[in-house]
Amino acid sequence: MALRYSNCRNVWRKALELIKELDRCTGTLPPYNSDLVSEVNNEIKHLIESNLEDARLDEENRSSGDVSLLPTIICRHSAIARNFRCLLAYHYNRLRCIRTMRWEFGGILPPDIKENLSQLELEWFSKYSNSLAQYMRSVGEEGINLTVNLKPPKSVHIEVRCLVDYGKYEMNNGTIVFLKKNTRHFLPRLECEELIRQGVFEHVVS
Amino acid sequence: MDPEEVEFLGEKEIITIVPNFNYGIINLISGDIGPFRAGLPVKVPMWVAVNLKQQQTCKIQQPDWMDIDFLEELRETEKNTQTFTKMPNEHYMALTKSILNCASDDLIRANEIRTLVKDIWDIRMSKLRSSVDLLIKETASYAAVDNLTMMEINSVRPLLPHALDQIYRMKKLQGPRIGSNSTAGQSSRMSYSFRS
Amino acid sequence: MNNMDIDHDLNNLLEIEEDEEDEILLSPATLVKIIEEAWLNEKFSPEILPNKQEYVDLLLGQLAAMDDNLENASDRDIKKGVHQLEVDRLKFLVCSYLRTRLEKIETYIEHILKQENERIEKGEEMYLTDAEFNFANNFKEGVDKHFDNLMGIHPTMPISWKNQIVQPNINSFVFAKSKADIESILIDEGNDDETVYVNKDSQIIISYNSVSNLVKNGDVQLI
Repeated sequence: MALRYSNCRNVWRKALELIKELDRCTGTLPPYNSDLVSEVNNEIKHLIESNLEDARLDEENRSSGDVSLLPTIICRHSAIARNFRCLLAYHYNRLRCIRTMRWEFGGILPPDIKENLSQLELEWFSKYSNSLAQYMRSVGEEGINLTVNLKPPKSVHIEVRCLVDYGKYEMNNGTIVFLKKNTRHFLPRLECEELIRQGVFEHVVS
Repeated sequence: MDPEEVEFLGEKEIITIVPNFNYGIINLISGDIGPFRAGLPVKVPMWVAVNLKQQQTCKIQQPDWMDIDFLEELRETEKNTQTFTKMPNEHYMALTKSILNCASDDLIRANEIRTLVKDIWDIRMSKLRSSVDLLIKETASYAAVDNLTMMEINSVRPLLPHALDQIYRMKKLQGPRIGSNSTAGQSSRMSYSFRS
Repeated sequence: MNNMDIDHDLNNLLEIEEDEEDEILLSPATLVKIIEEAWLNEKFSPEILPNKQEYVDLLLGQLAAMDDNLENASDRDIKKGVHQLEVDRLKFLVCSYLRTRLEKIETYIEHILKQENERIEKGEEMYLTDAEFNFANNFKEGVDKHFDNLMGIHPTMPISWKNQIVQPNINSFVFAKSKADIESILIDEGNDDETVYVNKDSQIIISYNSVSNLVKNGDVQLI
């Protein structure tokens, strides 16, 4: 019994660490922590095995009126449930974050972000990306891009400052503008949205 | 709701401009505007007015209610009554902001107007805060919020709805109320300063 | 194309089939108003509302026609700027409305699909459009696969992740404006019920559950 108790002391810590890790990085996605996830998984497995064993013993003891194992079983079950909940929260919130990235970056993730995703997450992202694209294509006659027009427009043109040396950029109407670092431009808002998101432009608010 | 979205709705309010160009009727999807005759007042949505003003093709006419005497009186009424006064425009705040932003040169005594509208807003917000406080203390289940404008309603969101939500959950846990305990529930129906 | 023709092609009245027999004529301005109201309702209601696909499609049609006309218009025309800004405003409106619905579908995926499938079984009208329903099923498939892979930690798992459904709180409080006199709204006090009479154009804060039907039939607008 003594050994079992000491094991229990560390239960919950690891799972909680997963949650804290996500919480510390709001807005960004930390690398998938597969080591910690598998430690929590092992802890869950271990707890389940112990409970299965004790449940067998408990059944035998019952005939003699002994229910002393019951509290331990219940306690372990709570620990399983809690670890389980933490794992769910960790993975679910990562998906929420990955989902938002689809809206921000489109169907192709920047490599530095991509390497923080697990294999399963990459698969999920690609499925989500496709379903969203399929949905957007099927709205109305011609489809609609929902990842733009995020804010109510105030005017047709906006003033932007170029943050990088981008080079030539061809606008929808065929005009070519030369985007040099620190130059200011007065351009159609819709064309700018995408470039603002990519960090090429910064909106100059007057 | 994003305040910009409340402004977006406010920009649909109709105001009068005086164009300096001639043009026929423009059939917008949301309704026709024009014809425009240089020097003749014409009614357009605020967002059109701002757009034309930015291109310096019109002057914006001061809305009737943007008048010092009127606003001073409104401020006094607001100060001296418990309830919320009806505002001259559902989007008075957004309109004032837009007009002062793009066309303060078209207004008479623009700075005083800015101050007066701000005063009225502040008085109403302080009233709103005490009403919210009261409402929560009364553990209300619903309340009339007449005469509050959209921007004002938006400013108590999400705090007030969330608070009432928690109260509702607690009541639910309490179980059915009986006999003399009903007074708290009864008074919650009256929402003092919210009523017009 | 002549500049004066930007708005030439637009139908002044749009036809919409309400029932099989009744065709309702609708002005574009009314159409815009309908979408605006739908947008606000969708924004503030905790549950997903019946779709407005036919109206959305009509408005998108108008916007596409306007886009085509604008392409050929001269930049110097006063009219072009105004039309362009209106198109941008309305695109924001439609996009924001559709985004709000997708976000709800994602958040309450299990709950919404369960309700939709019940509606199909009962032969009731669905709340989601075909495209949304399709998206929802794909989304669920992805999430199911992801968590089935992750959460099958032990062959005898005592807990299933599928029981952890996120449900909208339909008792959450909302601000509402009445568009008609309403004889009685049932207020669920949590521990007691009562009814209130609400005049046209009154504004109230109330539990969504008390007005959900009135929102759906258009007597109440969420604000």
